[in-house]
Amino acid sequence: MKRIPFLLLLFCLFSCQTLPVIHPSPFADEKSFPCPNPFLKSQYRLVHAIEFRMAGETRAAVIGVTLADPLTRAVSCSIITPEGMVLFEAESTPDNLKTTRAFPPFDAQNVAKNMLADIKLIFLEPKGKLESRGYLPDGSTVCRYHEKDGSWVDVVETEPKRLQIKRYTSSGELKRKVLFDRKGNIDQRIELHANEAFNYSLLMSLIEAEPVIAK
Amino acid sequence: MLNKVHLHALILIFIFCCLFTLPAHLSVAQENDFEALRREAVKIKTLKADFVQKKSMKILSRPLVSEGLFYFATPDAFRWEYSRPLRSIVLSYKNNTKRYLYSEGKMVEDKTGGVQSMKIVLGEVAGWMTGKFDQNPSFKATISKMANTSSITLTPVDENMKGMIEKIEILLASRSGIVKSVKISEGAGNFTQIDFNNVKINETIDASVFRDVK
Repeated sequence: MKRIPFLLLLFCLFSCQTLPVIHPSPFADEKSFPCPNPFLKSQYRLVHAIEFRMAGETRAAVIGVTLADPLTRAVSCSIITPEGMVLFEAESTPDNLKTTRAFPPFDAQNVAKNMLADIKLIFLEPKGKLESRGYLPDGSTVCRYHEKDGSWVDVVETEPKRLQIKRYTSSGELKRKVLFDRKGNIDQRIELHANEAFNYSLLMSLIEAEPVIAK
Repeated sequence: MLNKVHLHALILIFIFCCLFTLPAHLSVAQENDFEALRREAVKIKTLKADFVQKKSMKILSRPLVSEGLFYFATPDAFRWEYSRPLRSIVLSYKNNTKRYLYSEGKMVEDKTGGVQSMKIVLGEVAGWMTGKFDQNPSFKATISKMANTSSITLTPVDENMKGMIEKIEILLASRSGIVKSVKISEGAGNFTQIDFNNVKINETIDASVFRDVK
């Protein structure tokens, strides 16, 4: 019986994590303290070379095409091999997710949902409630959003034009970290690091970006 | 995934090989004589060509353009290299097949298990190399003649293949019989158009081309 509190403590140590502390800014409005914003401002069509890495090694390389509209939050994406084969095609609106083509492993359960969630995380401003804005202990500026599903999204600016997104579970476990390398208006290189049963990274290098003019 | 992905890659290799081993005399096509295709194919010992690949999809406003080089030497040596936008190379030499990807300033070997399946499929490609369009059970082949061109259409028979490829059309120039382009239709508005240039046949190709990434 004496072991139970100890085991509970161990359980908490390994499963309960806390979000990084934010020192609130004295300025509570967007004008005085603008939130870091690496997100698309208008509809764009983006083509990236994507390297998939596990355990520090490149495992595969594909071409990713993304069509994202920050106004409607509609996202379409395709994954293509260098040889031109379409491995995956899906489109998502706030209400619906439609997969039109998916070869293994993209046909696995939840792959489409998670992939489009990652794309939205990277390109679209969080739609959750802005909970706080301020500074992290290292001095970075940060805005923290609380999503409807209970997860937390921190958008961080470590230095000018060096932005990060971190998504945490409701219990504070870091699940995604996105790093942006911006030159001009569009990020030339994006890194997404995923903490899952098997950690992996996606390195996205911009091939072309095209603003989509509404018809 | 890798089986299908590499199968697609090897279908492209197959097309590259077959199209250059087509006979120079279009009467062969007119006569719908696949046996003649095979007879002409054995004359090809090496070949090299540039290619431009244009991928069209509904999500794209204009085709995604890739470029590269293709080398072949009988009986089964291949180098299939994309130079842009994503660098990758498939090398096959003396039953040793490897795939390389460009990463962080250098070419790194693809360590996924797909390379093994590539070896198996390359065995089939060796059969295709001899112009056996009508002998691959995965495809039904037909030849048709138009005003200034002729074309071979390969339609998948296998159900798994049908889900991946709708049809493959190989377009031949009327007089020379040289392949001008290949169109691979995947359905749902997705297709890949490959145009060939600077085809060189039976020139000496150093063996290192098939062995070394460079």
